[in-house]
Amino acid sequence: MPEQVSDAPYALEVDNIHKSFGSVEVLKGISLAADDHDVISILGSSGSGKSTFLRCINLLETPTSGSVRVKGELIEMKQLRNGQIVPSDRKQVDRIRSRLAMVFQQFNLWSHMTVMENVCEAPVHVLKIPKKEVQEHAESVLHRVGLFDRKDYYPAHLSGGQQQRAAIARALAMNPDLMLFDEPTSALDPELVGEVLRVMRGLAEDGTTMLVVTHEMGFAREVSNRVMFLHQGRVEEDGVPAEVFNNPKSERFKDFLSGNLK
Amino acid sequence: MHEFLTDLLSGVLGGYLYPFILEGMLLTIQLAVFSLFIALALGLLGATAKLSSNRIARLVAGTYTTLIRGVPDIVLMFIIFFGGQLLVNVIGDKLGLDYIEISEFTAGVTTIGFIFGAYMAETFRGAILAVPRGEIEAGYAYGMTSFQVFRRITFPACVRHAIPGFGNNWLVLAKTTALVSVIGLEDMVFRATQAGGSLRQPFTFLFVVAILYLVITAVSDGGLRWMEKRYSAGVRRA
Repeated sequence: MPEQVSDAPYALEVDNIHKSFGSVEVLKGISLAADDHDVISILGSSGSGKSTFLRCINLLETPTSGSVRVKGELIEMKQLRNGQIVPSDRKQVDRIRSRLAMVFQQFNLWSHMTVMENVCEAPVHVLKIPKKEVQEHAESVLHRVGLFDRKDYYPAHLSGGQQQRAAIARALAMNPDLMLFDEPTSALDPELVGEVLRVMRGLAEDGTTMLVVTHEMGFAREVSNRVMFLHQGRVEEDGVPAEVFNNPKSERFKDFLSGNLK
Repeated sequence: MHEFLTDLLSGVLGGYLYPFILEGMLLTIQLAVFSLFIALALGLLGATAKLSSNRIARLVAGTYTTLIRGVPDIVLMFIIFFGGQLLVNVIGDKLGLDYIEISEFTAGVTTIGFIFGAYMAETFRGAILAVPRGEIEAGYAYGMTSFQVFRRITFPACVRHAIPGFGNNWLVLAKTTALVSVIGLEDMVFRATQAGGSLRQPFTFLFVVAILYLVITAVSDGGLRWMEKRYSAGVRRA
């Protein structure tokens, strides 16, 4: 990873995140700093906390402790009288979320809207950009994911791969600072995985900053410039893919790789 | 043309059909439509309260639906009509206002709206629960406020699920308006019994009323089917 050359803040800086569900501690102190144009793959077996970690970044889950900064801006948290930690300023959370576009495992497209409506929804209603401007941009992102000819389809009439590409278009339409991918290919039939990965690879090549929770070893190895391996809520391995995959230091990651790269 | 029609209508059934009974029908429809608006507003409010994380909201809404759905409509009608009149004037007295007369129409609409708000609340609650959690989450993840998520995602997506239950409630509501004759409103049932009595043809007029109700419900059915189609855009049909 290149050194931080200027005083410019990190695209994303997560410091010592902890998260518990009841008495179960799912994240036990995870930190991460991402520069602009970084593509970071987060690996781990199920239950390792990788999705929870991603969801803590845009506060779909509220971290029990720790901090998140986006482009240097700290998401302010406060403690309620009953001890619960909550964001102090809902507006700030909404604003930051609108800059971190998320792509979900189950796509989560809005089923009552066409692809085009899905893509235009948040830019028009959250970012308040004039509809006409949004539509032009939406057309270009739909071309980019290869779905322009399906723009008037409803999600239910698309294949899984097409739905996920539509979801990526929805994310791109926000011109986000950072894109969060939560196992974007895990719900897809094997023959549909390729089309989604191709789109993601294209984004990476265009310099999009991405955090990708994934099981796709090929993507992690070839596309990302950094790989993080989580195990039981801790970072077990973290580094450049060539390094990490060829000389894994952690026994757990070796086990994980031998299970995955048969 | 209009004159011809009114002449024709007023000649039927001893002159009682028009305007006597059809006026009653108009009142029935007005009662039903106004009540529906109240029921929809209360229903949406009740459903969101029942699903909210606020304990007090849940308690109030829960009490409302349990109480209303557990007591016969006619009992509620008397309680709200007479009790409501009393209550308004007790409050009015305290505020130094003159005696306030609540019209039968207002009382009828309020009561029916209040009753059916409870049924609508349950219908909407079920419909909201049927909206995939992930779609709501996606709304939040893209920076929408709770209100925007409700207005742009949850509500339009839940309408489709609400329509069957809503249709049921509406049909029962339209027929429940017949109860208002007990508080002195002359709806079409009231008028038909009067006409039937004076012409000594009770069944003729009961049949007429039955048919008029069927007209209302058949038109409603058409409207509901249209709504269902409109809000099911993007749903794959099996």
